[in-house]
Amino acid sequence: MRPVRIAVVGGGTGGTLVANKLASELRESVKRGEVEVHLFAERPEHYFQPANLDIAFKGADPRRFVRDERELVVRGVKLHLSPVNLIDLNDRRLSFNGSSLEFDYLVIATGSRAVPEVVEGLAESSYNFHTGQEDARRTWEAVSRFERGRAVVLVNVPHKCPPSPVEAAFLLDEHLRKRGVRQNVEIVYATPYTRAYPTHTIAEVVEPLFEEKGIQLVTLFNTDYVDVRERKVRSLEGEEIKFDLLITVPPHRGAEVITASGIGDEEGWVPTDKETLRIKGYDYAFAIGDATDIPISKSGVVAHLEAIVAAKNVLADIEGTGVEYCYTGRINCPLEVGEGRALFVAGTYTKPPERQEPSRLKYLMKKFFPNVYWPMVQGKFETLFDLYLGKPYTTRGGGK
Amino acid sequence: MRHVVDARGSFCPGPITELIKVYRKAQPGDEIELLATDPAAKSDVKAWAQKSGNEVVSIEDRGDHFAILVRVVRR
Repeated sequence: MRPVRIAVVGGGTGGTLVANKLASELRESVKRGEVEVHLFAERPEHYFQPANLDIAFKGADPRRFVRDERELVVRGVKLHLSPVNLIDLNDRRLSFNGSSLEFDYLVIATGSRAVPEVVEGLAESSYNFHTGQEDARRTWEAVSRFERGRAVVLVNVPHKCPPSPVEAAFLLDEHLRKRGVRQNVEIVYATPYTRAYPTHTIAEVVEPLFEEKGIQLVTLFNTDYVDVRERKVRSLEGEEIKFDLLITVPPHRGAEVITASGIGDEEGWVPTDKETLRIKGYDYAFAIGDATDIPISKSGVVAHLEAIVAAKNVLADIEGTGVEYCYTGRINCPLEVGEGRALFVAGTYTKPPERQEPSRLKYLMKKFFPNVYWPMVQGKFETLFDLYLGKPYTTRGGGK
Repeated sequence: MRHVVDARGSFCPGPITELIKVYRKAQPGDEIELLATDPAAKSDVKAWAQKSGNEVVSIEDRGDHFAILVRVVRR
């Protein structure tokens, strides 16, 4: 009889953590050859993505924020450095690099992709820090030589990391002030939302800061197209904004393998139960992080906490405990407002984020996080995170 | 065509994101029913409809959530 096989697709925050948790918790079964944990990562580089902001607006060295995936997986994880081409949920089989693998349990953690090319004119007219470190570095080159004119921060949806566009505006302002050219630059922040931040309690903090710093806010601006020649953006609502420098948060889509496998919706998001994280219609398959269609922020903390919940559900299924772990929707996203201050957007499915004042301490916590991130994806510090964030799940059932 | 958008439990980034996602694919004459628990969704959708030239047909309080019906007039 072949071993129980768990396949994890995606080597980002959620995928790496879920594979590490499962291999650690099932250590003895893995040693005895009764269980296999397979992790598929497209490339050996594992990026700490929140640092793209620091690369784009502070000129931080990208090399500080990358590690080798092979050093991040724990003993017992079979790492495949290969993209997965197709996932067959019904036959419980995936194909990769000319091979195929049958699985008993599956966790999809394929993340999201920034796709500026889906908006006419956007890719060729704009800089962005969501498509990766190299584009973040190009953004820095553009920002650090910008002297005068109108800089537009253009938000498209859906996108990962809800605070990142607001942070981009604050950090752009800070950078231009440091260079002494802020008075020559008009900063316009154009967002599809009705306020500067989608959650009103946070917008109440952000908007006065925008006003104080002279960042102009344009709301309900859903990008229709960019006129490359005229250097202006037009919205679905019929407004136009001219720009000299266009920094965008592009719209995002799910991974290509999701669409190719016929699993996702039209944007490539996996239909997922927001509590159990099971893929709808498939008890043995889970989706976590950016890959899901759950209406919650696409962020590292969500991928992290969902990885914990999905791992617990896979374990409960294998062990037959009958316990179901349900994600609470806990979020805790840092939002940097410049001048060395930050706040956290924190809440759950039932408790919306409350107003928070930016502070130096929260900024220092944000800056310290890269040091914690690498051990965290290895499955360490769970108790510490439980203390800080609370358990990210409730349970139901059990007693078998 | 009627689209139902279930954004219950979504506070961040919020129900308006889900609404606009469907709006991008909708045709004039379509209806979008947005289910939301975030009370701010009511004023958000009204403001968006006013600016984009679309119509809020009804807002129904269903106890544990709201159902906001939007008719697509302009696309």
